Amino acid sequence: MLDKTITWLTDPTHWAGPNGIPVRLFEHIAISSVSLLIALAIALPIGLYIGHTGRRTAFAVNSANLWRALPSLAVIAIVLPITSSIDPEFGFKVYPTVVAMVVLAVPPILVNAYAGLAGVDRDILEAARGQGMSERQVLSRAELPLAVPVIATGIRSAAIQVVATATLGAVFGFGGLGRYLVNGISQNDTGQIMGGVVLVALLVIVTELLIVLIQRLATPRGLLLATTASAAQSPG
Amino acid sequence: MRLTRMLALGAVGVVLVSACSLGGGSKPTIKIGSVKFDEAKVVAEIYAQALESNGYTVDRTGIGLGDRSVLAPAVETGQIDLQPEYIGSRISYELAHPAASPAPAANAGITGPTGDSATNLTDLQQLLSPKNLTVLNYTPAVDTNAFVVRSDTASKLHLTDLTDTTAVQGQLKWGLATDCPTNALCGAPGGALQGQYGITAQTIAGATLLSACDTPMADALKAGTIDVGELCSTQPDILVNGWVILNDNKHTQPADNVAPIVRNDFLAKVDKTSFEKILNDISAKIDTTTLASLYKQVAVDHQDVAAVAKAWLQANGFVPKPS
Repeated sequence: MLDKTITWLTDPTHWAGPNGIPVRLFEHIAISSVSLLIALAIALPIGLYIGHTGRRTAFAVNSANLWRALPSLAVIAIVLPITSSIDPEFGFKVYPTVVAMVVLAVPPILVNAYAGLAGVDRDILEAARGQGMSERQVLSRAELPLAVPVIATGIRSAAIQVVATATLGAVFGFGGLGRYLVNGISQNDTGQIMGGVVLVALLVIVTELLIVLIQRLATPRGLLLATTASAAQSPG
Repeated sequence: MRLTRMLALGAVGVVLVSACSLGGGSKPTIKIGSVKFDEAKVVAEIYAQALESNGYTVDRTGIGLGDRSVLAPAVETGQIDLQPEYIGSRISYELAHPAASPAPAANAGITGPTGDSATNLTDLQQLLSPKNLTVLNYTPAVDTNAFVVRSDTASKLHLTDLTDTTAVQGQLKWGLATDCPTNALCGAPGGALQGQYGITAQTIAGATLLSACDTPMADALKAGTIDVGELCSTQPDILVNGWVILNDNKHTQPADNVAPIVRNDFLAKVDKTSFEKILNDISAKIDTTTLASLYKQVAVDHQDVAAVAKAWLQANGFVPKPS
């Protein structure tokens, strides 16, 4: 199996044309990014709001977690008749998958945004208010920076799930890396299947590393130093 | 006192169990399987109930097991004893997956399924023998690949035969099976579409690939995502939506009648003649209209597969009607 995979991945014809790896990679990244951005636009404001104000937390968190119960394939199948009547092309091949990916990504982002803010030490916030910061400054200068690690973990979790699950789109005619899995299974082509698996896995790893990098850059220096200091002290 | 009662109950239990096994257990259990198409499941269930009414015990866990790439190995390795199969399509599969140690002469002369059912049966048996499988008689019914368009597309572009699409292929959005690019019956280089109908490799590369004969393909055709869809000729969606099957005027698609494939080691355990007669009598009664109707009852009317099978068997006198 390993040699079939390597043969498939190194075949130059698989890197060219409309079914080539660069095209499928681009489609996969595109649909994953769009879905993640939409999910962020929905989940971050709500999560940050309830985390900061402490209002409606149970309702929001439980509703978000309900979405986790929906299998992505089912979401696609349910949404498809609706969106395909709006647009026969994209409404069939793209929108249902995007909706399913958004449903997948919202819970981890929302719950972690809430938890990240809610977990910030209230004393620090009191200290910030005591220093004369406005509520907005408390949020932007104290609360959010301290919540970055937890919020970023939620985004990372969502991103990885989306990249891995966007393969489902191929079942309904979308391209992306899932195309190699669906076609490979149907054509009994082990090299293609495993090639697709390897590519998805690599993309997941790259996504993870990218978000870790962004998280590093967004985490305040003090927090970074504190975590590395405690990590240096603890082994023993 | 309790101990005696328990022993008595135990003795009764043993007697009952042995009585039951003496009564119906002289015929072995047969494991029946099928692919996931509703049509295949109904035929498998019909065979299953017919065998049951003749005293066989049936293990149905394999019905709807998976597609041919899963089911064929299952019957070769003994996980399944019997499956209904499309004789033309199975020839293509067997040529692509020959037996591990065949006599080289076994495949001699067979290049693929033909448009003639009897030839296909003989050829298929020749390919199956090295794998210790037997194919029984086929149904008059044929279910084969069909290229389908909506009726408005057909009238707008004057499409009756598949050859009519050659000139206008660029104006159509094509929906093809996911294995089309490598399948000689479909879009493989030199195959049916490219070789016989002049459909270009570019058209095939630009097609939307979906599972053949399945709901997403029908949905896509209905929604207008595709203009030409690859469905199966008995698929109810065609009847329900008034779609037009483009005539395969170059006879590229195989004569795909249905026949049961059985393992030889199972046949060795039973009275071969009476066993085969049960199935052959049933197959003889299934014509294309019957098959399409059975398929429709399950797929469109959403009736239970077992109930549809039972009703058909009773209506045709294979199984006694309840009094």
